[in-house]
Amino acid sequence: MINFGAVESAGPNPRRDPFKSSVGKGAGQRRRQAAITVGKDRRESVVRAKRLRRADPEDHGDGDAMQLVTAGIDDEAAYKVLEDNTVAAVHNLKNLGKGTTAKKVEALQSLRRLLSSSAYPPVHAAVQAGVVPLLVDCLAFGASEDQLFEAAWCLTNIASGDPEQTRAVEPALPLLILHLGEKNPAQVVEQCAWAIGNVAGEAEDLREWLLRQGALPALARNLVSPIITLARTAAWALSNLIKGPNPRAAVELMKMDGIVDTLVRLVSTGDDELVVEVAWVLVYVTSMSDVHSGQLIHAGLLLPLVTRLALSRHLALLTPVLRSIGNIVASDNSKCDAVLTAGQSLPGGVIGALARVLESEYRTLQKEAAWVVSNLAAGSILHKRAVFNEGAVPPLVHLLATSAFDVRKEAAYALGNLCVTPRDQGGEGKPILEHLTVLVDRGCLMGFIALVKSPDLEAARLGLQFLELVMRALPDGKGPKLVEKEDGIAAMEELQFHDNEELRIMSNTLVDKYFGEDYGLEEEFGSGAMSTQDDSEYPPWRRGGLAA
Amino acid sequence: MEVEKKDERGVDRKPSHFGAWVAVRRPFRVDSPFFAAGNVERELLAKQISLEITEEEKKHIVQSEEEQLWQIFCPIAGCGTKLKGVGELESHYLSRHSATCSVCTRVFPTTRLLNLHVSETHDSFFQAKVARNYPMYECLVEGCSARFLSDPSRHQHLVDKHHFPRSFRFHVKKHPSQKQRQRQKAQTQPSNSGTTQKQPKKNPKAKASHPTSEIPGASKPSEPTTPLESQMAQIVECSDDTQMDVDELVTGISRLSTVSQGGDDVPSVPSFGHRRGRAVPFGQKTRGSGRGRGRSRGRGSEPPSPAQPSPQ
Repeated sequence: MINFGAVESAGPNPRRDPFKSSVGKGAGQRRRQAAITVGKDRRESVVRAKRLRRADPEDHGDGDAMQLVTAGIDDEAAYKVLEDNTVAAVHNLKNLGKGTTAKKVEALQSLRRLLSSSAYPPVHAAVQAGVVPLLVDCLAFGASEDQLFEAAWCLTNIASGDPEQTRAVEPALPLLILHLGEKNPAQVVEQCAWAIGNVAGEAEDLREWLLRQGALPALARNLVSPIITLARTAAWALSNLIKGPNPRAAVELMKMDGIVDTLVRLVSTGDDELVVEVAWVLVYVTSMSDVHSGQLIHAGLLLPLVTRLALSRHLALLTPVLRSIGNIVASDNSKCDAVLTAGQSLPGGVIGALARVLESEYRTLQKEAAWVVSNLAAGSILHKRAVFNEGAVPPLVHLLATSAFDVRKEAAYALGNLCVTPRDQGGEGKPILEHLTVLVDRGCLMGFIALVKSPDLEAARLGLQFLELVMRALPDGKGPKLVEKEDGIAAMEELQFHDNEELRIMSNTLVDKYFGEDYGLEEEFGSGAMSTQDDSEYPPWRRGGLAA
Repeated sequence: MEVEKKDERGVDRKPSHFGAWVAVRRPFRVDSPFFAAGNVERELLAKQISLEITEEEKKHIVQSEEEQLWQIFCPIAGCGTKLKGVGELESHYLSRHSATCSVCTRVFPTTRLLNLHVSETHDSFFQAKVARNYPMYECLVEGCSARFLSDPSRHQHLVDKHHFPRSFRFHVKKHPSQKQRQRQKAQTQPSNSGTTQKQPKKNPKAKASHPTSEIPGASKPSEPTTPLESQMAQIVECSDDTQMDVDELVTGISRLSTVSQGGDDVPSVPSFGHRRGRAVPFGQKTRGSGRGRGRSRGRGSEPPSPAQPSPQ
C-alpha cells in the first residue's frame, strides 16, 4: 500500500443539525456567495456514489415547480416556498388514502416534480412530513404503472440525499426489489433499480442487506435488456452493489449462469454509456476475484477490453477500462501474457494504447496508466522488452520530468522496473544495462533525483534506489559522475537531516561508497591509483604514488 | 530492505545491505486511496448535469479531495509542518528548506542548522571561544540543549542519544576545487543545492581538528603581503572568503601540525589542488605534473585562485 504519511480517507461527513435542510439552502448560499470555496455539503453530494434524477426536459408540468427550478436556492425565501409546497404535496397525498386513482397519480407527480426540481431537492422536508410510508403504500401490487413509476422516482431522489435520508427509504426496499421483476414495465423496473442503486451506494451494511434480499440476481437479469436505459441503470446499480470491499457480492454475481458471457458480450457490442457502467462492474470483479478474472479472460474479455482502451477518447469510459486491465495485469505473469497477446492485432498493441493514455491530458488517467505499465514492467524479461520497445518509454520519461508528483512516482516505478531483471529466489535481480543506459541518456536521472528530495518516504526511497542502480551498474565509474553532475550528491546529503532512519542510512551508504575520498582520483592517476582500504596509518603522501 | 537493527547501547551498526531496486507488482485494493481521484472524477462526470456543477466547482472539489488524501508532516528533522496536497508537497521544500550558506554555498534544511554551520565554520569569534574551552558545539537536534567542547564529542552525542549514523558529518571536509566549481555554478545559475561536498571515508578516529580544516586561508581575494602569508596561500587552499588575520592563520596552522598523530581524515598537511584530501608536504613543491594537471584540467571552469602564488 502506498504510504501517504497520515492518510485520511474521504468518508461521510459529520452529522449536521437534523432539522436543517440537508443539501439545503445554507450550502447553496455558501456556494453561490463564495465562488472560490465549495461547501462540504455540496462536495459530499457530488462525490458520493448516489445519483439524483432530475426532471425530464420534455416535462412541462406544474408551472410553479418549473419556476422554482430557475429560482433555485439562491433565495432563502424561494427555497422555503419549495419546501412548503413539498410538505403540502405530501399531505395532499396522504389525504387521498390508499388505492389507485388518477388523482393519486397526479399528486404523486406533483410531489415527484418538487423532489426533482433543483440540485438540492427538499428531501428533508418531505421525509419529515412522513412521505416514506405513503410511498411504500403506493408500491402495492396491482398499482398502475404510472403510480409505481412516480413513487419509485420519489424514493430514488429521497435515497440520493444524506445518509439519514437514504436510510429512511429502508421500509420500501423489499417492495422495490420485488418490483424489479420481469413482468413489470421497463420504466418501473429501471426506476426501482435506480433507487436500489442509491441505497447500495450508501454503505456496506446496506449492500449486504440488499444482497440477502435477493437484489443481485434481480438486477443482473436486466443487463441484457434491449432497453438501453434500463440496462445502463441496472449495470450502474450492480456496480454499487458489488463494490465491496467485501468480495462476496462480486463472487455471487460471477456465479450466475451466463454472466461471464454476458459481460464479455456487453463490452464488445454495448453502446458507450452502457460499457462505462459494465466496465465498473469489471473493475470490482477483476480487483476482488482472481479466479473470475481468469474466467472472463478465458471467455474472451481481453480483446474487446483492450480495443476499447485503444480506441476510446472518453474519460468516463477509459477510466474503468484502464483500471480493469490494470487489476488484471497486477496479478501474475500469465495474465500479463494474455493481455499483451490480446493486443497484438491492434496497431501499437497494448503498450501503444497505454502510451496514448500516458500522453492524454487527464492526470488521473496518466497516473493509473503509469501504474499499469509499472506492473507490466515488473514481469518477465519479455514483458520488460515489450514495454521498452513498443513506445512506453518516451511518454514515461516526459511525465517523470514534468508531471504532478503522484504521476511522477508511478512513472518512476515503471521506468525503474524496466531496469532490473525479475528477481529469482528472493534475490534482487540484476541491472538491465541496455535499458538503464537508454533511460539515463534520455535524462531520467534528474527526475529521480527530484524524487529523492520529496517529502514522501516511498518516493525518496525510489529515487535513492535508482541512483544506486545507476552508480553500481554503469561501467567505468560513469554513474557517480552523472549523479554528481545533476546535483545528486546534494540531494542525498540533504537526507542526512531526514526524520527517517532508513533513508538516512541509505543515503549515507551511497555517499560513502561512491563519493568517498577516492572519488575523482582515478581520473588523474588511473584506476590503479585508488586505494580501496581505509588505511589510516599513513597519510597518502607517505604511502607514495599519490600525493602530488 | 535489510538493515541491521541498532543495538540499544548504540553500538556501531554494521554497514547495512542497501535495499536495491526490486521490480514487484503492486496491486491495489478496491478501496485504496490510490483510486480515490478516479472515483471522484467518475461521480463528477456522471452528475455534472443533474447537479449543475460548474467548472470552477469541479476544480475545487478535485483539489480538496486530493488534499485530503495527500497529507504528510514534513520529514526534515525539526520542521514537522503539515503538508496537504500535491502542490504543497512540492513547494514546501523550495520555500522553507533551502537555507544556503552565503560563504561556502552549502545547503541546510533549516535556518537553525545554517546558523550553526556559519558560527562553527566561518566565525572567528566562535573559534576563539572554543580555544578558551567554552562548550560551543550545540547539539543539532532542536530542543536538545546539550553543548560540547568539541565537534567529535558532539558527534558522539548525536550518535548515542539521537541515533545519528556514525558516518554523519555536519562539517564536511572542504574539497577546494570542487567547491570552486560549485561556487561558479551558484554564480552563473542560482540553484538550491549549493554543494557537492564529499564525505571523507568513515573513520573511527576522532575528528579532533575539524574546525581547523575549515581555517580559511589562501584563497582570499587580496594578494598575500607577507612571506608567511604567501606560504600559507601556497599550502592551504580553502575557498573560504572570510577575512582572517595572520594570528588566526598561525594558530590554525600550529593546530594542524599537532593533529598528525591522529593520522585520520585530516591530513597532516593540508591539501590543495585537484586531489581532494591528498596532502602535499608542507612547503614542498608538488610534482609539477600533478598540479599542472589539476590546474589545466579543472572541472568546469575553475579559475586559478588569485591568491595562488606564481608556481602554477
